[in-house]
Amino acid sequence: MQLLKVEENGTAKLFFLSSAFWFVLGTLEGIIDATDMVIPDLFGGIPWLVFSRVRPMHTTTMIFGFVGSALLGASIYIIPAVSRTPLWNERVGKVSLWIWNISIAVGLITLDLGYSQGREYAEWIWPADIGILLAFGLIFLNCIQTAVRRNEKVMYVSSWYILAGLVYTWIIYFFGNAVWNPSKGAIYGLPDGILAWFYGHGVVGLFLTPLAVAISYYIVPRVARSPLYSHTLSLVGFWSILVIYTHIGTHHILQTPVPTWLKVLAISGSIAMIIPVMTVLVNLWLTMRGRLGLFHQDIGGKFVMAGLVWYILTCIQGPVQALPIVQRMTHLNNWVIAHSHMGVFGFSGTIALGGLYYILPRITGRPIYSTRLADVQYWLLLLGMAGFFGVLTAGGLVQGNSWLNGETVYRTLPMIHVYFSLRAAFGVLFVGAAFIGLYNVIRSIAGEPRQREIQTEKATGQTQ
Amino acid sequence: MKMTPLVLILGGLIVIAPVLLMNVITPWVTGLDEPPSDIFRTRTPIEEQGRDIYVNNGCTYCHTQYIRDFDWDIGSQRISKAGDYIAEIPHLLGTERTGPDLSQEGGEHPDDWHMAHFVNPRFVRPDSVMPSWEFLGKERLLALIAYKQSLGFKQADGRVERQKYWKAEAIGAFEAGPDKNVEWLHGHVPEPWTKLPDPYMTSVPGLERGHRVYQSFCIGCHGPIGDGMGPAQPFLYPPPLNFTILQNRGISGGILYYQIMNGITGTAMPYFKKDLESEKIWDVGNYIAVTFIGESDAGQPTRGIAVSYEPVEGPK
Repeated sequence: MQLLKVEENGTAKLFFLSSAFWFVLGTLEGIIDATDMVIPDLFGGIPWLVFSRVRPMHTTTMIFGFVGSALLGASIYIIPAVSRTPLWNERVGKVSLWIWNISIAVGLITLDLGYSQGREYAEWIWPADIGILLAFGLIFLNCIQTAVRRNEKVMYVSSWYILAGLVYTWIIYFFGNAVWNPSKGAIYGLPDGILAWFYGHGVVGLFLTPLAVAISYYIVPRVARSPLYSHTLSLVGFWSILVIYTHIGTHHILQTPVPTWLKVLAISGSIAMIIPVMTVLVNLWLTMRGRLGLFHQDIGGKFVMAGLVWYILTCIQGPVQALPIVQRMTHLNNWVIAHSHMGVFGFSGTIALGGLYYILPRITGRPIYSTRLADVQYWLLLLGMAGFFGVLTAGGLVQGNSWLNGETVYRTLPMIHVYFSLRAAFGVLFVGAAFIGLYNVIRSIAGEPRQREIQTEKATGQTQ
Repeated sequence: MKMTPLVLILGGLIVIAPVLLMNVITPWVTGLDEPPSDIFRTRTPIEEQGRDIYVNNGCTYCHTQYIRDFDWDIGSQRISKAGDYIAEIPHLLGTERTGPDLSQEGGEHPDDWHMAHFVNPRFVRPDSVMPSWEFLGKERLLALIAYKQSLGFKQADGRVERQKYWKAEAIGAFEAGPDKNVEWLHGHVPEPWTKLPDPYMTSVPGLERGHRVYQSFCIGCHGPIGDGMGPAQPFLYPPPLNFTILQNRGISGGILYYQIMNGITGTAMPYFKKDLESEKIWDVGNYIAVTFIGESDAGQPTRGIAVSYEPVEGPK
């Protein structure tokens, strides 16, 4: 069967292609939502373009479709690579790929038709949840079987993060979506809020983060042509993220009447997140010390480097905004939206793209179609993300200040109109970048590289 | 430390077991013992149906359902308690306030205001960015309205009853003709206000400011020329007031101020005292008085000591 064809690294390749496709869809959903906030009557009440139906489509397309697919693709390549053995079973890989993509499609289409379970990032209906769990299970099976059959004595740190990330994501997804309750996908009362945010933060912290860190650990030493700085730091970073990141979801609902002991746990855990983040970053940055030029030359390395910068910014901001005194100003407004875009897109999304551009040529055996286009995409995304973060943070501060000083929500809408407009403008850069990316990935997989670029690269001595 | 698949998986499971116990199992189990709060009641079937529509269409992305101790907007008369939430499945706490909090929304407005608002939010709230929900159809909108009127449970029920009582009164007054209607309207303004003239002077900048406030708050119902024929009018009964009928019927700046500040419960006229501070209310009141009624008492010499920024007339 063509769809399940067995070829070396075919699963990883198609995961990358899926990611590029979902990226386009996700940014289109984003720009629809951004436009809805600026000109609410533009789409004239078309049900499937309504803001609040498209918004969960946008978040889940980005988390699972775009970033998730690329991270999984990279993982399925990295595990065999660091184990020095082929993937255990490419056919199982292909099956997991199609279950994954079909589940995402089912989740998105039903959301658009008005079927939602209503909890952030857990909106998809039960059948989609089961499909996602099945896909995660199959991918884990594939990875663990490969790791057990490894021809390399030492298990490299990337594979720790991938394997643990897959196990944790499965558990968090299972509990967070309350899959034992198919019709509601939830439990009763405030505990549901606690559970939903245990999941909502966990899906970022234990799916996207470990896999993105795994890619960084794989790519940084290779691009830097230098061994990893410290094994001990890797161990500290790995185990501390598992202990700490799992505890902090309640910081999303600190201002609700949830039990105080849980808030204390969430706030102290959020501050402690500095430990796993800094150990990873120190480890990676000391690995690349004095070799930044090499990252400038490698398009994949460049994306990973940018992602790591977004990572440290996100993870300095995160602990600070988990403090109750800060939340009085920042919670419930666009400050948080700026933060979440920096985390999911800036950090894990950019690293996912880095993984894609670094690994795809190694799968196809030829350079990517155009490094120039990838470079354009890089700058569009960097500019878009920075601008996006700036305007949303500014708009959020306007909202937060106004509310604290007694303005009503309705009064703040004209105040943030300009920020919403600018957000939509920066969103156009994302859409453009996503289309460029899809084109580049399709041409890289399907065809030969552009002759002129190869010649230039040969002339300047740069090869992929 | 030597990392093997076994160490990884077993270690990972050992780490997550206590996490699940602390963050999921314990709150879940202890949460079941939460006693209902003083306002709690169960929802009726149509309210549950409305809640499903709310969940399925993602209303929670812009509307929270909890009040914090430093909130000022609607609902802030009561800070949320854990016992308010025992029947919520899924939870609808929310994480953003692009629109106002809805935990005490029930009875804030009468049903007809909600219908106009759902068909197009800008009919009654011109600056709103909420989508139009007309496509849901009347039946589902009625369920959604029933759910909104239940938010706040027993306290909401009291407010809804009050809306219904005063709606009947207001309809009676409206149907009795303009004379009786204006008499009824003025009759419910406390005495000091009925005699109170607008303490500000009429000025071009003041009228401009009043115009701007009018466009953000009033135009949807009362219309651009103040005849009560704004886009929300077909949905509302009693219909929005035609300001011209106030002429020669004893209007004062104080009456306008009081009605804008407190609204007329039972009708679609909301209170604006949370949205607008004092000067803005006087400004829009005077804009209406000058532009639509043709009768303004602004700046009469009955005031106290003149405010420092006002133009100086004479030695004082």
